[in-house]
Amino acid sequence: MSQELIDAITDMREEDAVAITKKLLDGGASPVAVLDACREAMGIIGMRFETGESFMPELILAGEILAQISAVVKPRMQQGGEDKKLGKIVLGTVQGDIHDIAKDIVGFMLDINGFEVTDLGVDVAPEKFVETVKSTGAKIVGLSGFLTLAFDPMKHTVEALKAAGLTDVKVMIGGGQIDENIRQYTGADAYGKDAMAAVAIAKSWA
Amino acid sequence: MFIRPDNWNQMSPLERRQARLDSWQNAPTPPFVSPEAEKNYRERISRVRKIYDMAPHDRPVADLFMGANEYIVRRKGFVGKDVIYNHAALREPTLEFHREFQPDVSVGAMPYPGKPWDMLDFKTYIWGGQKLPDNLAIQAVEGEYMLASEYKEFAADPTAFWMKKYLPRAYGALGPMAMLPDFPRISESVDTIDLLVPFGLPPFQEMLKKMMEAGNELMRILGEVGQTGAMVVSEGFPGMGFNIVKTPFDYLGDTLRGTKGILMDMYRHPKDLLAATEAYVPVLVNSIVGASDRTNAPCAMYVLHKGADGFMSQAQFEKFYWPTWKQVMLALYEEGITCYLFIEGSYNTRLEYLAEMPEKSLVCHFDKSDMKRVKELLSDKFIIAGNVAASLMSTGTTDQVRAACAELVELFDGKSYIMTHGCYFENTTDDKIRAFIDSVRK
Repeated sequence: MSQELIDAITDMREEDAVAITKKLLDGGASPVAVLDACREAMGIIGMRFETGESFMPELILAGEILAQISAVVKPRMQQGGEDKKLGKIVLGTVQGDIHDIAKDIVGFMLDINGFEVTDLGVDVAPEKFVETVKSTGAKIVGLSGFLTLAFDPMKHTVEALKAAGLTDVKVMIGGGQIDENIRQYTGADAYGKDAMAAVAIAKSWA
Repeated sequence: MFIRPDNWNQMSPLERRQARLDSWQNAPTPPFVSPEAEKNYRERISRVRKIYDMAPHDRPVADLFMGANEYIVRRKGFVGKDVIYNHAALREPTLEFHREFQPDVSVGAMPYPGKPWDMLDFKTYIWGGQKLPDNLAIQAVEGEYMLASEYKEFAADPTAFWMKKYLPRAYGALGPMAMLPDFPRISESVDTIDLLVPFGLPPFQEMLKKMMEAGNELMRILGEVGQTGAMVVSEGFPGMGFNIVKTPFDYLGDTLRGTKGILMDMYRHPKDLLAATEAYVPVLVNSIVGASDRTNAPCAMYVLHKGADGFMSQAQFEKFYWPTWKQVMLALYEEGITCYLFIEGSYNTRLEYLAEMPEKSLVCHFDKSDMKRVKELLSDKFIIAGNVAASLMSTGTTDQVRAACAELVELFDGKSYIMTHGCYFENTTDDKIRAFIDSVRK
């Protein structure tokens, strides 16, 4: 595993990380080894986020770096060899709310922690969550909402999942004004105050 | 309008602050509806004044503005679209609310100018009756209204950038603003040609026509909103007295670069970002002092966003966010303007920075911060406000609201404290509003 690549990513040296990736691949390194280094680096960034050493800028930029590396690596990947995932999660910002930054960070952190995330985007209707849970077989749903107007759509989404008979699906919620009061109000199974909390909750359910 | 006393240049910052507060407290009012209304008004504004002065006073005030400004009309069946488009209709429920609940200070829906937004094709927000469902009011649309490659251009002349680049991008109808001349170069006799050319061209004239029509519509709205405001005052309810502003970093982040853009710029374009925040300082100081003079408001209300806990590290806060913000606030302090900080999210890791500011320079209004630490670190120097959770007002019980408010009243006993919500909410109950208002009354 390339320590040089891991260091470039965790130090947020964006251009170096992409250049090192190309150098490694050109020198015969396997795409899988490069992605393993990326995973290691993302784990370090995630841990720093958890301990208060990394913040939103690092998570967002790490996501950008990873996307650039993936664009270089993926054409050289052979089919198959997908990692075994911890579980499937359907994620989205609830109906009426168009904020995506926190949801994107949660999705990113869940992804690098081994979950298969289906991100439905923003302003997602309850029926869309139900339909996607059914089609993917996901057992976890993550509902994001930045504004107070998200409280009722979150509640309606939880109700819609239950009404559709998806009683074995667990729902976690999060966002700017979300707390234990709102968890009780919406009937969700858990709320998380940040992306690491979302990962911890999802792992406890996986 | 605030008129500076003749001895302004000899006054200390705190004396200037007193002069601005005097001017606000003693400003002319519309005729009161009754002697009792006048007595209530004087008593209420005097209580707020004592709190702003950090002088002994009988009790805290409860301010509903940041939380319940829409609820007061929603409780009568009005929805978000009405707040944007139906200003005159909001008058009766607004007055009814004040008569029934007798709040300490006035509360009213925000005067969103829906029709002018439509006329000018405003793009940085969406709203009820437009792209949002009718029941909702307004949401910001994050976007990149300035490219990273344009930082230097912005820093060279923020005002020109705003007029010629930002406005055409934010308002579809204002594209021809890009044709404006470079004003500081209008000097020699023939430069009048450069000054006037755009004004003679059809696209620019068409834009001016639209702006004048939108301006007329705005005046109609302001007339309706102003009349409601005056009637609220005449029934005995003063306002808190502030203009809304932001930090240099938040203007750049919220408005020009977007959250993702500016947070990544700290790594990708750190020098350009710093230069832009620095270029903003004199522009902001002039603008806020001018607005404070025009409106006679003693406070500049900062709506604070990207400096909150979690958005950036202490080192990043110290490098990119705090220095220019502090410079602006110190300049305002020198001008006698109190900075009212509406701190969205939590600010537990930033309290020590606020403590660097001079005594009485700040009102610190919290949303989700640790109020025990706030008391310990800030309450001897500054006025404290807030932290009644919007979630509690929306979904908690009346007893829970009562208990949360009682805890805050007890915590800030003997301090200058304003009971407020940390965030706006659409729905609550009359009982919870009453519990909130009553919590500060002995």
